Amino acid sequence: MRRVRYAELHALSNFTFLRGASHPEELVETAAALGYEALAITDECSMSGVVRAHMAAKAAELKLIIGSELRLRSGRKLVALAKNRNGYAALCRLITRARRAAEKGSYVLTRNLFEDGLPDCIVLWVPDDALALDVEDHWIRETFRDRLWIAVELLADGREKERLDALREVGQRLRLPLVASGDVHMHRRARRVLQDTLTAIREGVTIDQAGFLLYSNGERHLRSGEVLRHFYPEELLQETVHIAASIDFSLDELRYEYPDEIVPAGETPASHLRKLTGQGMRERWPGGVSQKVVRLIEHELRLIAELRYEPYFLTVYDIVSFARSKGILCQGRGSAANSAVCFCLGITEVDPARMETLVERFISKERNEPPDIDVDFEHERREEVIQYIYGKYGRDRAALAATVITYRPRSALRDVGKALGLSEIQVGRLARSMQWWDGKRVDDSRVLEAGLDPDSPVIRRLLYLVRELVGFPRHLSQHVGGFVISNGPISELVPIENAAMEERTVIQWEKNDLEDLGLLKVDVLGLGMLTAIRRSFDLIRDFDGRQYTLASVPAEDPVVYDMICEGDTMGVFQIESRAQMAMLPRLKPRCYYDLVIEVAIIRPGPIQGDMVHPYLRRRNGEEAVDYPSAEVKGVLQRTLGVPIFQEQVMALAVVAAGFTPGEADRLRRAMAAWKRRGGLGPFEDKLIDGMRRRGYSETFARQIFRQIEGFGEYGFPESHSASFALLVYVSCWLKRHTPAAFTCALLNSQPMGFYSASQLVQDLRRHGAEVRGVDINRSAWDCSLEEGEGGAAVLRLGFRMVKSLSEETGRRITDRRGGQAYESTQQLLERAGLDRRELEALASAGALKALEGHRHQARWAVAGAEKPGGLFASMDRFEATPLLRKPTEGQDIVADYKSVGLTLERHPMYLVRHRLDRYHYVQADRLRELTAGQAISVAGLVITKQRPGTASGVTFVTLEDETGQINLVVWKHVAERDRAALLNARLMGVRGELQIESNVIHVIARKLVDHTEMLGDLEVKSRDFR
Amino acid sequence: MSLPITAAKAEQLWFCVYLPNLPLEACGPGDKDLAVIEEQQGVHRVLLAGAHARAAGVLPGQSPNAALALLPTLKLEERSVIREQQVLELLATWFEQFSSFVCIAGPDVLLLEIAGSLRLFGGLKRLRRQIATGLDAQGFEASLAIAPTPLAATWLARGRRRACVREPANVMAALRNLPLSCLDWPPTVLESLAGMGVTDIGDCLRLPREGFARRFGVKRLLQLDRALGRLPDPRNSWRAPERFCADFEMTEEQSDRELLLAICHELLQAHEQFLLARQLGTQRLLFTFFHLKAKATSLPLGGARADRASDHWYELLRLRFEKLVLPEPVIAIRLRGGTTQALHGASGRLAFHDRVPREHYYSMSQLAERLAARIGNESVHGVNAVAEHRPQYAWSTRDLFAARAADALTRVRQGIERPLWLLPEPELLSMDNGHPLHQGRLRFVSGPERLETGWWDEYGIARDYYTAVSPRGAGLWVFRNRGRQRGGEAAWYLHGIFG
Repeated sequence: MRRVRYAELHALSNFTFLRGASHPEELVETAAALGYEALAITDECSMSGVVRAHMAAKAAELKLIIGSELRLRSGRKLVALAKNRNGYAALCRLITRARRAAEKGSYVLTRNLFEDGLPDCIVLWVPDDALALDVEDHWIRETFRDRLWIAVELLADGREKERLDALREVGQRLRLPLVASGDVHMHRRARRVLQDTLTAIREGVTIDQAGFLLYSNGERHLRSGEVLRHFYPEELLQETVHIAASIDFSLDELRYEYPDEIVPAGETPASHLRKLTGQGMRERWPGGVSQKVVRLIEHELRLIAELRYEPYFLTVYDIVSFARSKGILCQGRGSAANSAVCFCLGITEVDPARMETLVERFISKERNEPPDIDVDFEHERREEVIQYIYGKYGRDRAALAATVITYRPRSALRDVGKALGLSEIQVGRLARSMQWWDGKRVDDSRVLEAGLDPDSPVIRRLLYLVRELVGFPRHLSQHVGGFVISNGPISELVPIENAAMEERTVIQWEKNDLEDLGLLKVDVLGLGMLTAIRRSFDLIRDFDGRQYTLASVPAEDPVVYDMICEGDTMGVFQIESRAQMAMLPRLKPRCYYDLVIEVAIIRPGPIQGDMVHPYLRRRNGEEAVDYPSAEVKGVLQRTLGVPIFQEQVMALAVVAAGFTPGEADRLRRAMAAWKRRGGLGPFEDKLIDGMRRRGYSETFARQIFRQIEGFGEYGFPESHSASFALLVYVSCWLKRHTPAAFTCALLNSQPMGFYSASQLVQDLRRHGAEVRGVDINRSAWDCSLEEGEGGAAVLRLGFRMVKSLSEETGRRITDRRGGQAYESTQQLLERAGLDRRELEALASAGALKALEGHRHQARWAVAGAEKPGGLFASMDRFEATPLLRKPTEGQDIVADYKSVGLTLERHPMYLVRHRLDRYHYVQADRLRELTAGQAISVAGLVITKQRPGTASGVTFVTLEDETGQINLVVWKHVAERDRAALLNARLMGVRGELQIESNVIHVIARKLVDHTEMLGDLEVKSRDFR
Repeated sequence: MSLPITAAKAEQLWFCVYLPNLPLEACGPGDKDLAVIEEQQGVHRVLLAGAHARAAGVLPGQSPNAALALLPTLKLEERSVIREQQVLELLATWFEQFSSFVCIAGPDVLLLEIAGSLRLFGGLKRLRRQIATGLDAQGFEASLAIAPTPLAATWLARGRRRACVREPANVMAALRNLPLSCLDWPPTVLESLAGMGVTDIGDCLRLPREGFARRFGVKRLLQLDRALGRLPDPRNSWRAPERFCADFEMTEEQSDRELLLAICHELLQAHEQFLLARQLGTQRLLFTFFHLKAKATSLPLGGARADRASDHWYELLRLRFEKLVLPEPVIAIRLRGGTTQALHGASGRLAFHDRVPREHYYSMSQLAERLAARIGNESVHGVNAVAEHRPQYAWSTRDLFAARAADALTRVRQGIERPLWLLPEPELLSMDNGHPLHQGRLRFVSGPERLETGWWDEYGIARDYYTAVSPRGAGLWVFRNRGRQRGGEAAWYLHGIFG
């Protein structure tokens, strides 16, 4: 029998959210396996899935047609297929206009959007069940004329013959050709169960209520030629092939055209870049440039020219220059950012001379991937940069990339559970077990623990469906800052739709899609630490006139490294977390590159790949440094033979397993997807084989493979670490030399970082600086510096610390104060125009002490203050003054915590210490004097709880007492036994064992006790992290 | 704060019953693994936890997930204010034995005026013990307090002070140390007072009266005065909602059915008067016929809508009474009215009013009532089209007399062919050489219509349906199952017959 030739022209992927039930890749692979001539991906008014389909089709050598299903407002359904680049542009334009005219996630298609006739597109008209004809159909025929077919979709509803006859009649009457198509929603029939579920989720009903919203059968899958022949007359199948053959378009044709305005008239991109680099070089090295640097820059420029990346560097330069001109601190990172050229252009402050060997690795001709530069800006001023980009290139030429939000186990469970009719509580119970879920199977015992029967059919169905649904796209969201800038309108490259945020738009592709097509993007990101650093610089300048920049902070200051080695790094960039603090005394960073390693090593990748301890042993000389081969040595030498950076792992795949650089990069990107489906599939064999063939031992091969697996998702690139390390150093320098200014800047940049304002302020006071409370006549909105005894900087808390006081009000208080202090509450109310609630907030914060005396009096005064002209205003002065008790220290502390989140009185532990005496708790500062292994009891306020995914069920708890912090390690069995205390305690007592290793102190908890009742009304919030 | 003390009327004594665990107790007796949750700003939070749950660390304010983490066997129940109200009303009824003046003074507070009951129950101590024992036996945890003013009693009970203050002069002393959280003042007011160091009633009373009134309102000042007995505090007594119940006792045994009917009619008229006075109607009635020896005979009547007209009920009664078998003569008749509800406007009648003489037409609901009265409630029901692809589920019955259920998603699918007569169970057809037989070899007319659905319950199907004609000309609806067949050849089933 002759093979049936067929091309599917109407197929939805799961990027038609909650309708399509298969990934684009699955559709492509199945179509190829069935021997289809071509496959059209026609997601509803969307191009979101086409790049994935395109990459899969290239691999499967299948012809891919790009199209879209379009439902007109009248209800008519069309499928448009792009015939060529021009047709693709027209289709993207149409989708953009339809999407922009509607709310996020929906679209409105009206006839007037088709005024250009959708040129160079083939249009299939999909008649509805009733097959009724009206004026609209006449319009369709007139608009698309000789590019219009009637789609005949026969789906085993028992009326195929009737339908075919009717459509033939219509076709004859309107002189329109007929073509077969399948209204495909899934790659194989078995997905109908998931498809039904998606329908129920979409319509917000349970499955058993969904009724006729569901399809009556699973026919909407990719059917084999044999089956199709049974349904369709030969000529209708032939017609699909005929149409497919007339289409000549591939996404590979999309070429990124750079904007013109980055190059002045009379210059080429290359000449302009060379000129700017030359200028920058002279500024960076005013005393003359070394030959080595000149050679390096020359080499880089040649490479950039060869790959024609100049416009990219120029675009980033332009954005960074804008930020500079506005005094916005920024820094680039990423593979290209650490080049000497970028240093000259001011994109990064990392002096290549400081990095020795780094540069050469970052731009590589053979990898042939687009350069990667992310630029971090002060987080509070990033918006200005974004507006600049929109302003410069116009909204039609600059757009943010999308992030595809996909189903995770928890969200899938919630939606599927609801569709299956489970109660919110039942789903909630199960969701708790999800933290142990590896995405493949759920332990029966966990289901049992949730009070559900793992063998019940409903639960079986639920778990099956959740597994299928995880990874499905749900909606498009905005990428944090990935910009595409083009020369022509972007809407002819990819459709643009509305984002959730007002006035924001996103393109329908995400970052990976852009990379896959070789399009360039610039990441404009926000970084809190840059804000804090810039503020520190400003504070220092205003306080004593010293001026610093990222580049001019004295480099490699040994006292800064002394501080780092002690783990005294609260508040600084990156190395402030508890895990980092614990690592510092072991790793003992003494130079910039040590910081680069420190930033990258405390990450899930190296931890899961078990690289931390080997590296530490080798660094401390406890283990020999050896390499299995010279090639491997070349890759791993700088990290003592232990792979720490993502680049190293990928390089290992190349030198040890014979991957091409391109393959290594695909491996990196495939990792996340593969991991979800379980295992790295074909890559695993290729890697192990490759290494064995090159003479590496099986053990080594397995070890490298495990490391690659661990790295895939979480590995940190050296190119980013290098830029981060500079900010680490600068923030440490500021903490060491100007602690009051640094803390002040941190408080003014909250929320950011790992620690609360209370912890930061306590830390500052322990370092000997003075901190003063909020004062109506001295504070500004921000925290500020005052001159203390002997000219020392003193931190004055600002109105921003006061709970429920708006910035606008805070600033008004300062503005209206001018040089003249407020004398009474009534005057404050009148002059600053405050309302009762705002006055109460100030009184609660203790900010009115100067006017009214203690807090209780202030509250009474504030409660009675009246707006001028108020009913009782004139009676004010005759009011009897009550005798109010002065607040106790305890009451003040409680009020401080409640209103300002910290206290400048004694630590709350002072209040309860005498009641804790009988427990013999040891204070934090005395732990150092004790011996390791000793049984010990400690107590303190619970300030952080953290259960990292990498630490197999261990919970890390940080307690704080009046002398410092205590780090607890709570093993899983203790956590489960004492879970009430772990969950509820704000004041916790612990019996356990002292552990001291390289000056790092932990208490291994054996028993947790909840003492919260002693705190009374004190509000201490623990910061909980996962 | 000072105001000349005017003596409160000494003859009042208030007994307050405060039920802190009512939300929990309203869920049923004694489940210690229970926690009641309540939605607050869109998220569920634990409101109260039972003894076991509390011991495991389940606290008010926790999320249900956190609570479950502490006690996996925890049962969670959504709070129902209505249920609590019902329980409170039941308790109020129970309390009526102790006092003629019972009042529901809040969602979890009952007040009894007991000055008059003291002697009756042998003194305060005994009364108190009796109430405490009774509450305990019914599974309520209660905090009891006694004071000369209702507010003082309430606040003391909420303060869990177990106080018994009989003399008005002692009220001040009893209240002075009571924290302000025992009052039902809003949190913002309490917070503001706490910010001034004012935390108990005594602190509050020390503030200047004008200053206090200006800051916190005259209302709160007066409330304090009422609690202290400086101002009167009149309350309304609570009364149980009424239902009609009347007996008619005969002087001798009676078996004359006409006479019995006439008595019933009289009862119905009394019932109508009762409801009329209250602007109420009812949907159900119960007649009970008592006999000398035999067990009483019950005759329930139900209507499709609430009504009170005696004629209407009498009409229904007559139809049912005809078929009623009475084992013995009747000695007494009782009529109990059902739950009452407010009456709304008259129900609509069917559209052919004008052409039918007035006495001959029925509204749809009357037609159903009469049919049901004749052949029994069980035999008359409505038919719903159900939106379901599976033929066996594509329709369902519904109780005509139940409140009208929302016919969700009931759309009849257009254009599909379904036989009017569906077999209760598909019937396996015998085969001849791969051809299904029914009165001979079948001829297929159309199909297949493929139905693959229903996987979400135990009755999922994957079938190909065909229309076929038997040699005798009967239109048949047959199917075979899809998927792998055991034993080679696919089995055919008959599922319906076209009319």
